[in-house]
Amino acid sequence: MADTPRDLPEAATRRFADGSFSSGLSVADFAACLDMGLEPVGLVQGFCAMQWGAFTMSGMGPGLNPFSGTQGGYVQNYQCPHGMVSNEHRSWGQNYQQNWIEDAWRTGFNNAYSRMMQEAQALGAHGVIGVIDSENPLADTGVVEFHLRGTAVTLRDLQAPSETPWSTFLAGQRLAKIFEAGYVPVSIVTSVASVRVWAYCVTEYLMEGTGGLFSNYGGAAEIVQVVDAQNTVRDLVRSRVRSSLHGDALHGAHLEVSVREFAKGDLELQSRLSGNRVRRFKDFDPLPVARPTVRLS
Amino acid sequence: MTNEGNDLPQATEHRLEELEHGLFTSDLSVNEFLLIKEVGFHPVGFVMGSSIYHTGIQTRKWSQSQELTKLTEAMYNARELAMTRMEEEAAELGADGVVGVRLDVNYYEWGKDAAEFIAVGTAVKAEDGISRLNKLGKPFTSDLSGQDFWTLRQTGYMPQGLVMGTCVYHIAHRGLGQTLGTTGQNVELPNFTQALYEARELAMTRMQDEATRLEATGIVGVRLEEKSHQWGSHTIEFLALGTAVTKTSDDVTLAKPTTIISLDN
Repeated sequence: MADTPRDLPEAATRRFADGSFSSGLSVADFAACLDMGLEPVGLVQGFCAMQWGAFTMSGMGPGLNPFSGTQGGYVQNYQCPHGMVSNEHRSWGQNYQQNWIEDAWRTGFNNAYSRMMQEAQALGAHGVIGVIDSENPLADTGVVEFHLRGTAVTLRDLQAPSETPWSTFLAGQRLAKIFEAGYVPVSIVTSVASVRVWAYCVTEYLMEGTGGLFSNYGGAAEIVQVVDAQNTVRDLVRSRVRSSLHGDALHGAHLEVSVREFAKGDLELQSRLSGNRVRRFKDFDPLPVARPTVRLS
Repeated sequence: MTNEGNDLPQATEHRLEELEHGLFTSDLSVNEFLLIKEVGFHPVGFVMGSSIYHTGIQTRKWSQSQELTKLTEAMYNARELAMTRMEEEAAELGADGVVGVRLDVNYYEWGKDAAEFIAVGTAVKAEDGISRLNKLGKPFTSDLSGQDFWTLRQTGYMPQGLVMGTCVYHIAHRGLGQTLGTTGQNVELPNFTQALYEARELAMTRMQDEATRLEATGIVGVRLEEKSHQWGSHTIEFLALGTAVTKTSDDVTLAKPTTIISLDN
């Protein structure tokens, strides 16, 4: 599957040839969409299956030199302060950025995204609203599937778009509020960062609460190596998203950080930041004074 | 299934007779009930349809991704039977449609490879006496809640039917050679991408074909569900479901939405 307009399955072409529209919006969002002058033209989706492996090197042991194959990304080394030499004592530790995980994630997500947008373009849409994205392991094949879907819309009484459609995670009243606040959606923005932690002796003792003198006698203490990794994985993803905004604003940012333990003292931290890139098109009009209302729901 | 003219069980007849005398049952919440009344419909009874279906087996190639057409047909036919029986119950009550339809699949220990497909919903009838049957002359069906039904009516649309499309797909196992060929790499697998993309599109196309038969303008609330049921992780059913609608009026009576900025979350 190449990144061209011919990249869509044959069944998608047949589906679009049909006259009726489909929409993944709830009825409330559908009604709000009509009220804003947006007409749904079709449910669009993009998909990418990626081979996915988590490659662990934790069996290399504490006696080897720190790893240096991070292709220019973040690396931070930690040296044992105790002067001990033992196969049981981790004399060094390292935090490093896993560029290859980030690159693979970006490939999978971008392929699925571009296919969804190709479907929207094939329908002559101005934009895609209510985007939902998911990544799931596929059966037990070591494959991760990236799936994006949303509802392609056209702006009523406007001629066919000449450029790539815009996209947003928002729909319904949340999208209406963005317009009301004087912004238009440009695109969804999502990125990930991945940092691996190989613990050194101090981190190991602090995480286990053992080590006596080496770990503050089991008392409360900051685990510096893990804190560094947590801060870095957040900073990396934030700077990557910031660099993709090109002067626009990010609305509805959502940051998630997950931690996976592969083996004793071998952690992977992954952060993911998603949001809506929006651009101001008019000044903000103050909202009318609120009145209490009764709502049936 | 003994009654002439339809295939409803005899016990159903007695229950429906009681409903025809004015008593109604429904699984609508109070708010849903009020909103259904507000748009000129009255609930006439809680209706259901069921089908216990033996889904059988189909051989599949270990290393090839492919649609399992027999299973696709079985899953579709079983749901269709359940839906048809629910529609027959609604027709017995003189209903114009069924709202809040739920489609469930249950498996029991006593039935190996058998599954019970159930469709339930609340039959409703227009209070002005004008028929609202769909283009096929049957009660319309919809999985919309009472609130969604009200909102849809305000925008000039009318439900025509709950439409669905399904595709049961076998995902190939990866051979040793394929696995070794990409060891140590995170790369796209175009064959998997193409196969699963196609499976989802087929389910959606079939759903749209049903909407076309109903002469619908569009489908709202489309859901894409994926389940392996009892087939193991390499066989997945992709099910697309939504409510087909037609535009019946250009008059939009929905009140102008007011921006609400909630203070509680």
